[in-house]
Amino acid sequence: MTGMTEITEYYARQYHRLAENLPGQGTEWIKAYRHSRLSRFKTTGFPTTREEDWRYTSVRPITSREFSAIDASQPVEPDLWNSDQHLIEGLDSYRLVFVDGVLRTGLSDISPEDGVRVDSMANVLNERPDSIQHHFDLEQTEESHGFTELNRAFSKDGVVVELGSNVALEKPIELLFLSAGGESLAQPRNLIIAREGCKGQIMERYLSVREGASLTNSLSEVVLEHGAEVDYYLIQGQSSEACQVSGIWATQASESRFSCRTITLGGALVRNELKSRMLGVGAHCDMFGLYSLSGKQHVDNHTTMVHGAPGCTSNELYKGVLNQRSRGVFHGRIKVERDAQKTDAQQSNNTLLLSRNAEIDTKPQLEIYADDVKCSHGATVGQIDDVSLFYLRTRGISESDARSLLTFAFVNDVLNEIEIEPLKTLLESMLSNQLIDDQ
Amino acid sequence: MLSIKDLHATVDGKEILKGINLEVNPGEIHAIMGPNGSGKSTLASVLAGRDNYEVTSGSVTYRDQDLLDMEPEIRAREGVFLAFQYPVEIPGVTNVYLLKAAINAVLKHRGEEELDAMSFLKLIKQKAALVEMKQEFLYRSVNGGFSGGEKKRNEILQMALLEPHLSILDETDSGLDIDALKIVAHGVNALRNDQRSMILVTHYQRLLDYIVPDYVHVLAGGVIIRSGDKSLALELEEKGYGWIESQADAA
Ligand SMILES: Nc1ncnc2c1ncn2[C@@H]1O[C@H](COP(=O)(O)OP(=O)(O)OP(=O)(O)O)[C@@H](O)[C@H]1O
Ligand SMILES: [Mg+2]
Repeated sequence: MTGMTEITEYYARQYHRLAENLPGQGTEWIKAYRHSRLSRFKTTGFPTTREEDWRYTSVRPITSREFSAIDASQPVEPDLWNSDQHLIEGLDSYRLVFVDGVLRTGLSDISPEDGVRVDSMANVLNERPDSIQHHFDLEQTEESHGFTELNRAFSKDGVVVELGSNVALEKPIELLFLSAGGESLAQPRNLIIAREGCKGQIMERYLSVREGASLTNSLSEVVLEHGAEVDYYLIQGQSSEACQVSGIWATQASESRFSCRTITLGGALVRNELKSRMLGVGAHCDMFGLYSLSGKQHVDNHTTMVHGAPGCTSNELYKGVLNQRSRGVFHGRIKVERDAQKTDAQQSNNTLLLSRNAEIDTKPQLEIYADDVKCSHGATVGQIDDVSLFYLRTRGISESDARSLLTFAFVNDVLNEIEIEPLKTLLESMLSNQLIDDQ
Repeated sequence: MLSIKDLHATVDGKEILKGINLEVNPGEIHAIMGPNGSGKSTLASVLAGRDNYEVTSGSVTYRDQDLLDMEPEIRAREGVFLAFQYPVEIPGVTNVYLLKAAINAVLKHRGEEELDAMSFLKLIKQKAALVEMKQEFLYRSVNGGFSGGEKKRNEILQMALLEPHLSILDETDSGLDIDALKIVAHGVNALRNDQRSMILVTHYQRLLDYIVPDYVHVLAGGVIIRSGDKSLALELEEKGYGWIESQADAA
């Protein structure tokens, strides 16, 4: 346990060293907020496998190293950015590029259409902190853990997006987070506010641009007002030395729709916490997930659907393809509050094991306090079907092509939920390269 | 075309094929009949290369090559086609995708140019018409939700597209209504010429009214116990298998 205390102390010291220069620190409430977050961080520390929610995921790869935030006053090294490698071919987006968690305006396009406001978190904290104070005040604290509190204590940079009432965003907002390795710590903190009746697509994409370990500890809060529709994408393709803890927490008002796709193809240790609290009547939430892992990758998807009002619907489908010695964890929690009658909640997690050394732990957790509820969950674990493989081969298709084809067929329904065509094309080619490499 | 000599095969250590001998020349149609569990599908699977069957002795020569030495996909590209007794459903792979991948694999193997989207579509429409298959079936997933008869017709569509040298149809007639049987027979006959050979596994003489075989064989207990011409099928229809089996036992 000493190791844990030491590492917690390490981050606390790092905080104190940087605190002076954190954005908005001059504003009294921000300073107080950070201090209280830090002290919570010090008391909770990092989660351990003795906690039920972390039973299958050890954060040792994170706590056994000392990651540190970069000095943002230095310009980006020119060789870091390579648009051919880092951009999605054919995608027209409003793009914000972050290097180790800090927005780089030189690489970004920060001025989208009318009715849409995009600003860096640092700017907002410095220049108009009152506009977001409300959201900081309302924060949920009861279920937070060390990573969340560490992110909040720093509240260093990230993005604040506001989609105005009834705006229909013409192209996706793409938040591209690059990790430069070198034991860097990136802690983007994002706030997305979707006003009444608006509609838009938002993508967070994570890439490593250099070898070496890195830690990304991100937190995005999405607030959907009445009738807002947000399509969210979390696309993870970091290096095999990168660790990531990622939170996407939505709060949904009546008749809003939040739809999130989490696609994880890279990273050594990844923990995703998706949460939606449906607080208004008739809200709908989708969570689709796809993870294709190899080597010793470990990916833990932790989802929470809170049905907090009557007539809300949720649909959750996670599919995993696990190769070599990789490990997947899926924990799907559905909570139906007492007055959330006429809830309809569906959940499934299906896994294709491509190797006998791969492992999946899947756990649904249903807490239902209302009585008029339709709730279903299911999990399957299987291998490539021999007869299907033989059938394809008797049609002239090579064994390796047949295996990829069957794997694609398995994840097809999640891929089909990706409505940004250039992204889908990119993911398909990444997946097929991965399948070829792993054979 | 195909020469099977003293073929023995086991599955899970159990011997199913116990010395099959069969010669198929170009242009010939051979019907194989026989009781349930006698090894007909096993023979078909061994010819197509299913790897859970172990060939313990004997040989199979196909167009002067050692068939047993080839991977299933190579056999297919070399012109061997198996229509499955139970066609497999593959959710998530569209029929049209499979058909295109299959024909292009064959063309590539032959060193011919692969079909582009346009020429493929033209060809597949024509083949689908031959087996009277509605276009929408092309865009469904492979055999996904197809009725028993539709699955069988889909097998014939694949065969019609790939134009194999040697087709092995494993009970393609089972479960077909009378009209579908005629359609399937029409598809098969359209492919028939003096270079292509076929092995039809069937339980019913009725199919053989539409696709007239050159030879009829009876497979029982893992061996061919009798061969004859098409009149043998009529005789079987009338008398069942008992009489030959007891004759074979006596011999
Ligand atoms: N994995 C296995 N283990 C043991 N026996 C098997 C296995 N697979 C097949 N068999 C047996 O092999 C025998 C031959 O089966 P096969 O499917 O070839 O028969 P068939 O002649 O095609 O019968 P049908 O007319 O019913 O289609 C059967 O007795 C079957 O039970
Ligand atoms: Mg059979």
